[in-house]
Amino acid sequence: MNQTSDIERRTLTLNRLFDAPRDLVWAAWTESEHIAHWWGPAGMKTKIKKHDFTEGGEWEYTLQMPNGQDFISYGTYSKITPRERIETTANFIPMTEGVTLIALFEDDGDQTAFTFKVIHPTEAYCKQQEEMGFYNGWGSVFEGLNTYLGTI
Amino acid sequence: MRRDVFQAIADPIRRDIIDLLADAPRTVNEVADRFDVSRPAISKHIKILTECGLVQMMQKGRERHCVIIPQELSRVSQWVSQHRPLWEQKLDTFEAYLKEIKSKTNNDESDK
Repeated sequence: MNQTSDIERRTLTLNRLFDAPRDLVWAAWTESEHIAHWWGPAGMKTKIKKHDFTEGGEWEYTLQMPNGQDFISYGTYSKITPRERIETTANFIPMTEGVTLIALFEDDGDQTAFTFKVIHPTEAYCKQQEEMGFYNGWGSVFEGLNTYLGTI
Repeated sequence: MRRDVFQAIADPIRRDIIDLLADAPRTVNEVADRFDVSRPAISKHIKILTECGLVQMMQKGRERHCVIIPQELSRVSQWVSQHRPLWEQKLDTFEAYLKEIKSKTNNDESDK
């Protein structure tokens, strides 16, 4: 039956037009030395624990929060079409688990049209819902971090 | 046990039942006819859907119809959209970094 509408309900889609050629956008998005610069909130360095950019390869990045806790993101690349499309599983501890991320890259003149999809698993909804209190708490950690970064 | 809309949509058969009922109200038998699973299994799914507040049973003459309550479903998209600011923020940081390396590449080229 209607599988599409179900997936759409669970998908967050973001569109951006980046003022840079596709090769550069692709490199910045996929190479670990670049990822370390933007994965975390502005001005914060990310530790790249694993970064095997191949289908079936694993990635794991950690970010140390001002409260000393580590914010861990990890996943496995499921599909890679060079310069076009990346699909990976992703977990953000302690926030969201079992999501699928899809990044799409397209030329738009000298610029790059970028589409980013976050597909949430239904099973996780229940769990997440119960943990919503915790999630809100995590949101305030990010806010605190931004305020902190603004002062340095 | 606490039930909510997220539990309702956690099961693929329940998602299909929701799609079916979104089309038109149906009796439990009419719903069961559409699936390869047993009628008691369908009854159980419908019971869970009513407990989640997504489906209501309504008497219509001699028949009882399952009717969808669509307002509850909107909570799912609301939940998904709560994550938007975090991702927008990440893409903002990415875009700023992109600008930085792009100007660096341009400078390198003009140095040559």
